[in-house]
Amino acid sequence: MAPLNSTKLDDPQVLVEEKLSARILTLNRPKQLNALSFQMISQLLDLFIAYEEDSNVKLVILKGKGRAFCAGGDVSAVVRDIGAGNWRLGANFFWKEFILNYIMATYPKPQVSILNGIVMGGGAGVSIHGRFRVATENSVFAMPETALGLFPDVGASYYLSRLPGFFGEYVGLTGTRLDGAEMLACGLATHFVPSERLSLLEEALCKVDSSDPAIISAVIDEYSQQPYMKEQSAYYRLNVIDRCFSRRTVEEIISSLEKEILNKEDDWISATLQSLKGASPTSLKISLRSIRQGRLQGVGQCLVREYRMVCHVMQGKLSRDFFEGCRAILLDKDKNPKWEPSKLEIVSDRMVDSYFSKVDDEGWEDLKFPARSNLHVYAIAKL
Amino acid sequence: MEQQITRRNQVLTNHLLVHGEPTLLSAAPPLSSNSCLSYSPPDLNEPFSFNPTDMRVYLDSHNIPDRDWLFGLITQSQLFNPKQRGHKVFFSPDYNQSMEQQREMTMKRIWYLLEKGVFQGWLTERNPDAELRKFALFEVVGIFDHSLAIKLGVHFFLWGGAIQFFGTKRHHDKWLRDTENYVVKGCFAMTELGHGSNVRGIETVTTYDSNTGEFVINTPCESAQKYWIGGAANHATHTIVFSQLNINGENQGVHALIAQIRDADGNVCPNIRIADCGHKIGLNGVDNGQIWFDNVRIPRENLLNSVADVSPDGQYLSAIKDRDQRFAAFLAPLTSGRITISASAIYASKIGLAIAIRYSLTRRAFSVTRNGREVLLLDYPSHQRRLLPLLAKTYAMSFAGNYLKQIYVKRTPESNKLIHVLSSAFKATFTWHNMRNLQECREACGGQGVKTENLVGHLKGEYDVQSTFEGDNNVLMQQVSKALLAEYIAAKKSNKPFKRFGLEHMNNPCPVIPSQLTSSTLRCSKFQTDAFFLRERDLLNRFSAEVSQFQAQGESKEYAFILSYQLAEDLGRAYSERELLQTFIQTEATVPAGSLKDVLALLRSMYALICLEEDAAFLRYGYLSMDNAAAVRKEVTKLCSELRPHALALVTSFGIPDAFLSPIAFNWIDANAWASV
Repeated sequence: MAPLNSTKLDDPQVLVEEKLSARILTLNRPKQLNALSFQMISQLLDLFIAYEEDSNVKLVILKGKGRAFCAGGDVSAVVRDIGAGNWRLGANFFWKEFILNYIMATYPKPQVSILNGIVMGGGAGVSIHGRFRVATENSVFAMPETALGLFPDVGASYYLSRLPGFFGEYVGLTGTRLDGAEMLACGLATHFVPSERLSLLEEALCKVDSSDPAIISAVIDEYSQQPYMKEQSAYYRLNVIDRCFSRRTVEEIISSLEKEILNKEDDWISATLQSLKGASPTSLKISLRSIRQGRLQGVGQCLVREYRMVCHVMQGKLSRDFFEGCRAILLDKDKNPKWEPSKLEIVSDRMVDSYFSKVDDEGWEDLKFPARSNLHVYAIAKL
Repeated sequence: MEQQITRRNQVLTNHLLVHGEPTLLSAAPPLSSNSCLSYSPPDLNEPFSFNPTDMRVYLDSHNIPDRDWLFGLITQSQLFNPKQRGHKVFFSPDYNQSMEQQREMTMKRIWYLLEKGVFQGWLTERNPDAELRKFALFEVVGIFDHSLAIKLGVHFFLWGGAIQFFGTKRHHDKWLRDTENYVVKGCFAMTELGHGSNVRGIETVTTYDSNTGEFVINTPCESAQKYWIGGAANHATHTIVFSQLNINGENQGVHALIAQIRDADGNVCPNIRIADCGHKIGLNGVDNGQIWFDNVRIPRENLLNSVADVSPDGQYLSAIKDRDQRFAAFLAPLTSGRITISASAIYASKIGLAIAIRYSLTRRAFSVTRNGREVLLLDYPSHQRRLLPLLAKTYAMSFAGNYLKQIYVKRTPESNKLIHVLSSAFKATFTWHNMRNLQECREACGGQGVKTENLVGHLKGEYDVQSTFEGDNNVLMQQVSKALLAEYIAAKKSNKPFKRFGLEHMNNPCPVIPSQLTSSTLRCSKFQTDAFFLRERDLLNRFSAEVSQFQAQGESKEYAFILSYQLAEDLGRAYSERELLQTFIQTEATVPAGSLKDVLALLRSMYALICLEEDAAFLRYGYLSMDNAAAVRKEVTKLCSELRPHALALVTSFGIPDAFLSPIAFNWIDANAWASV
């Protein structure tokens, strides 16, 4: 096993440690904030499938090297691939990523994710579906896709829609950032452990030698702490969030927020409005629909639907917002994307509908999951 | 030595056991438990040949994202009574609450939906899109609870609808927005203790006092008390009053007026008396009441004056001179109630079928071979025959309901009559079907169907009233036959072709049914429509002949009609089923070729053939020979076995979220395990 501080080029992107019946997997691209490359996803998928069969493995711990747990899928690589000619290369990336999300969501053995840093997009996808999510004072969670011309994918329509009230719509549409305390409060995290205790926790977990969630939970509990939630936390605004983000359409959400500040100033609402107005109108609409559908679907159905959606986005026939978003945010960094259509009113229901239909491209198929042995019918992620 | 011991043991064992029985003790340890029946989710064993999401588009037809939004709103609130059963959560009212508690919960749920903007545009927007959205959301509410839907239906469709349709601008401006925002809570006082379907016979009387410019409403006798008025017992602040209007001693017939019955604090207004209709066999979340009016004075402007008005000095003014015509013009637009009832009956049928079919794919009973595994209920041909034809009918009615909604939202003065006839026929047909369907589903679930939480049994009580309110089914069907007869007489008299109510087929030569019916003929839509055309045409001829015959014997036209009730009934059914088959075929035609279309063709054939099998008219009047009828019956069993593999996909396509079905539709072993109870 390579030393952790190695900087060789052929450094493995996922480090593997075997500790008795526990396996510690460390995402190892600290410079890229552990953004998931195709290679990482493939490796994680192979490891998870192998561990599922392996009776010597009882627990999988997933963490990130450096200041991030994982900042998402390696989108710039995907855009590069698509730029090179074939959007189906990009689609392959998501196919594999979503399969990994599904395997985790239906995993029979407990997965403990140590979220000591940035958890965004694809990073949430490889952690939130697992049984235990440990937040720390360094955790920063966000699903920032709407600002990128994408939508919350990786099964987010499943887990966001299961947050209290309409908090999920708020988090998914605005891309707002949550800290560890907020993650715990809304259920995205199952535990809060101060980062200084993480190494002790890890040590303890490696000694558990059990797959019993109750036992593992009790071990994490020993290191847990009740975090302090900042006063201006959005979580204290659940009333407003429920009132406004429960609305039927994005337009109605925005106008109800505007109504809230008609007579009194409110920085939080203004900021919320600002992020909504900066996001891609198409992204907002398909994201809202996706989360709404997700509320009524199993995690598998959610991923199948999101795969259709993401293929439409990659194909770029319906809208090129994703490429524009990547240009403005990731490449040119002018932070001034020109969305097309530019206004919510122009994005018709029919345009939104198209994102949910099958993709008309030769050989294209709906996402298909590998057969799962002993799959519980409710194949529920643990949220 | 060892051999000896073994032998000795065997001898002893044989002594202890009943002679001749196999040695049970040595065969299996006596106290080890049998392996328990395990629940195997049908979703894992029943592959789908088509995508249920695609099928749902044809069934729900419109506003699917809006429907899902509302399902989501409901599942995000504790008010909708989530209950954990096994690993699933179900949303259904607590029917074990007292009537009073259920009514309060209904009202609380309305406040919640109001706050979330569900009712936005229900009355203030008038365009086809807004109307379809309203229908869609209303249907979703009904899937959660019929009481909640009815409570909303009274407020929006009856009270709000009356103001929209019978009122003029001054009423619209004053009431519609306040109704949409529940500033006022409306009800609709038409039915009286002594008069229901016969609205023209109601006894409430209104006079005009030109000195004060007020109407004065009175309940002159006990049979004139308003009865079954939804919302009246507890919540409503205002009501539409249907009353005879007596101006200067002359009765101008039935009119509608607005009266306030409670103040803003909920206290009953002076000169109004209200009583509670009490506990019912269902819909206990709706507060039905009785109302008496004792010289209740209301301003002159409260007369809903779209067809007739009274001037300040007390002159009666109307463009329509004939009282009967005036009455008809008055009630004509109020068909939306029958349309929403039709649709909600179908959604209730879907709930029943989704539960019963899912259960029949997980519950086993009896083995066919000794020691063999017990057989899944739905693998019994008899069980298929019980449920799958009902499934086909429910599909047919879904498509027909969509067609009805479409022509309703695009209505013109010319289409009003068609909408009236069609909505009457469908309301009766669908609600009767629903009750039969629920009963069969209840029985198909065995004892589990009796548990309230499993819904199928309980829904019978909740939906029974549908065959009575907004027009008694039998009366509605008579109106259908009457309209067809009038059309028939008019066409014959003027010697012009039929061009209404889908009777155009009567202009063609009489269809001929082949004497030999092969499987492929039976499944051909041409044959199926021919058979339905033949029946309708012949029954209409017979009905007309019989009515004329009675008239020739000196009976009045009205009484002749009453005497011909058997043919009237048969004709009404023939009309309704023919319309259903045709809309099914139209829907099918919009589907691109593929497995989904193939399954629809199976369902359509099942629908057509089950109608042929069930209606004795086909044999009675010889549209089908006895051989033909036998061939039909045989084909039904074949269709059952061909539909069986699609059963789960077909009920999944209903798009009803799991949380709105019931525990026996899922892991019922889990839901009933000791750890769960």
